[in-house]
Amino acid sequence: MAAVIEERPEDVIYPEVMEAPRYSCALAGAYSTAVGIYGVVPILHSGLGCGIGQLFGQFYAGGQNAGGPQGGTSTPCSGLVEEHVIFGGEDKLRRLIKSSIELMQGDLYAVLSGCVPSLTGDDIESVVKEFREQAPIIYVKTAGFLGNSYEGYELFFEAVIDQLLNKLPIKKGLVNIFGVVPYQHIWWKGNLRAIKEDLQKLGLDVNIIFTEFSGLENLIKIPAAELNIVLSPWNGQRVAKKLEEKFGTPFITLPGVPVGPKQTTRLIQEVSQALNLPTEPVDELIAREERHSYRFEEYFGDVMILAFPQPYFSVVADAGTAVGIAQFLTNEVGYLPDKVIIDDGTPEENREEILRELKENLECVVKPEVIFDEDSHRIRENLKKGNSLVLLASSLEGPIASEFGCVIHVTVSFPSYNRLILDHNYAGYRGGLRLMEDIVSKYCGPL
Amino acid sequence: MRLYLRPILSLSVRAIFACFFINKYQADYYRLSLKSAHFEVAIVTKIRNIAIYGKGGIGKSTTSSNISAALSEEGYKVMQIGCDPKSDSTNTLRGGRFVPTVLDKLRSGKRIETNEIVHEGFNGILCVETGGPEPGVGCAGRGIITAIELLKQKKIIEEFSPDIIIYDVLGDVVCGGFAMPIREGVAEQVYTVSSSDFMSLYASNNLFKGIKKYSKSGGALFSGIIGNSINLPINEEIIQDFAANTKSTIAGFVPRSLTVAKAELQGKTTIEADPDSDQAELYRNLARKIISNESRYVPAPLGTDELKAWAESWYDRLLQHNKNQEQQDTEPVKSDLKYYELKPDSAKAKVK
Ligand SMILES: Nc1ncnc2c1ncn2[C@@H]1O[C@H](COP(=O)(O)OP(=O)(O)O)[C@@H](O)[C@H]1O
Ligand code: SF4
Ligand SMILES: [Mg+2]
Repeated sequence: MAAVIEERPEDVIYPEVMEAPRYSCALAGAYSTAVGIYGVVPILHSGLGCGIGQLFGQFYAGGQNAGGPQGGTSTPCSGLVEEHVIFGGEDKLRRLIKSSIELMQGDLYAVLSGCVPSLTGDDIESVVKEFREQAPIIYVKTAGFLGNSYEGYELFFEAVIDQLLNKLPIKKGLVNIFGVVPYQHIWWKGNLRAIKEDLQKLGLDVNIIFTEFSGLENLIKIPAAELNIVLSPWNGQRVAKKLEEKFGTPFITLPGVPVGPKQTTRLIQEVSQALNLPTEPVDELIAREERHSYRFEEYFGDVMILAFPQPYFSVVADAGTAVGIAQFLTNEVGYLPDKVIIDDGTPEENREEILRELKENLECVVKPEVIFDEDSHRIRENLKKGNSLVLLASSLEGPIASEFGCVIHVTVSFPSYNRLILDHNYAGYRGGLRLMEDIVSKYCGPL
Repeated sequence: MRLYLRPILSLSVRAIFACFFINKYQADYYRLSLKSAHFEVAIVTKIRNIAIYGKGGIGKSTTSSNISAALSEEGYKVMQIGCDPKSDSTNTLRGGRFVPTVLDKLRSGKRIETNEIVHEGFNGILCVETGGPEPGVGCAGRGIITAIELLKQKKIIEEFSPDIIIYDVLGDVVCGGFAMPIREGVAEQVYTVSSSDFMSLYASNNLFKGIKKYSKSGGALFSGIIGNSINLPINEEIIQDFAANTKSTIAGFVPRSLTVAKAELQGKTTIEADPDSDQAELYRNLARKIISNESRYVPAPLGTDELKAWAESWYDRLLQHNKNQEQQDTEPVKSDLKYYELKPDSAKAKVK
């Protein structure tokens, strides 16, 4: 007799389970942040799986990137086991820090403690303090369960502010960039470089903290900045607020890393206003940069109009990336927004701002449906109900994009297992051009 | 082919059964010869697993050890497992000496031999201490889980096959680790040692909550409150009232007695140090009661607010009681109430 298999209705929602969330744990975020700063040696005080798990779940997923010389399998880890759960892992940590300082060259050591020591209450602070004389060292209490990768970024910088930074005289023209989470924001390296290049044209000294060889120096000079620039509707906000409280540094927030001329001009304008820069040279700069990028946009005008005029598109990404891409495609290319699914677990209080950016700041009669959801199953179900031809999402949607009626899929968000991302990015005046290269190249040709 | 196979099969099946019977018979014979003086013991074929809970310092270990000692006198093979990082549960069974704990052995990383964690004490009682971390570090709860799992893994219980195991467990059932002995497959019967102090009854109430939770998945059931340091009628009344409110029963009352303290100073249980004392007899009675007590049930713990309200209902009565006592103290003919606790063998009045 054939067994009766009950068919599951397509749109059943399981609130208590989540399929393939698009981030890792708080420890992963702090770990990525540490590895993103050159010269920082992360020291994991955790089970071994926490390290190796993040190699696959955070680094490789962040555009097939390795962890670098201090990341991945090179990362020192206390490898906590049962014994340390019962008797505490402080001794093990002490020995690990000692040998790490001896064996691993670095400018700053960062002890990142995971779930196990947080449950058993290891006194990490006092162990780390024993080494303060020997090497620059900080600790970050990043129990995985405190939140997701984005939370880890905040926790890392909060620890840096509390334990490493001191008040410095303000250096005119110095600005820090926050809100870009290494590996989790898969374009982090290219984005930061591009933004730095654009802002440098204003004569600013732009501290992007990550990727540069002067990692520790970059961290230490954070309090000297005249302004902090947060390029995300929520990531980095806590850091900027804390810096404002402690050092009085004002900050401005943009809804994401700017993509293309309009958003980049907005950034330039807000920054120059906040810094009271003389308007004339700024206007000149904007005119020059816009003219250049629009001239280049003309090159793809024909292929876009002839093959694929005004398609509907959907985005599945973290808030900042989603806003940047949706605004660029709608406002500057004339694509029609269908669904924008924000998959980074944006806190409730930041959602209104994002909704405004995705409704009021889209110059189009068609307004997208904005969904906040991190569950891959529900994201799929939502996409099935859509009618987009172009899908800008994570690599998870890649193989099944045709199921949603999408002809084109481009990986623009975490995880990106099908795309190696090193220097590529969609940021700044020319960023939009690169996005169009990626989209249009998918359907022009084949010969 | 089949025809040949069949007789062979049935032969071997018979052989297996035969072996089984011989083993079982031998086992029972063994028990009988060991405890010939106490025939009723031989019918105890299943190990009796009893957990004794209570707030720290309330007298769990003292009571457990005396019960163990009393049961061993009755001819039972008793194992006492101290589940408290203090690791002093079995001290009075071993001349006041600490024994190496299961977790100490585990920590050493060396192969664990069973004789390194099971130590013989008074009258052949098998003493085990789970051990645990230093105060303030690590996770004692996880320690208890690990130690008990290790005892299972090493088949310690099977190897020594005691008749009775007493788990002497610290605590308020603050976390999953301290609940381990009441979870499925460890103890079946639970007692709590409590004085009439609110915090002590609070711990008992927490234990009831734990029992209630695990009772749904085959966990241990409750069998009674052992009132300890009960010297005044009002102490008894408070516990009786608590029992009535939580639908629980009382296994017995143990008075506070100097005999106990004296015995402890010698590193002995009262049963060993002062076998003819009233207090020793009282522990024997308690032990007999416990071994014959088959009743097991799920008590009805009070909610936090209910418990508070209940405790408050006693304040007035306690105040009144204290006033009366003060009056008595000032009277020319002194009642010995005030010194009751300090008098040796005040137990006399209490033996029931
Ligand atoms: N009935 C009693 N009479 C006198 N002293 C007692 C009595 N019960 C416990 N004690 C004493 O109280 C102290 C704590 O007892 P113990 O059994 O170690 O508590 P626990 O195991 O609950 O932490 C010990 O010094 C013990 O001798
Ligand atoms: S959730 Fe906890 S245990 Fe898991 S990887 Fe993160 S820190 Fe480690
Ligand atoms: Mg004890």
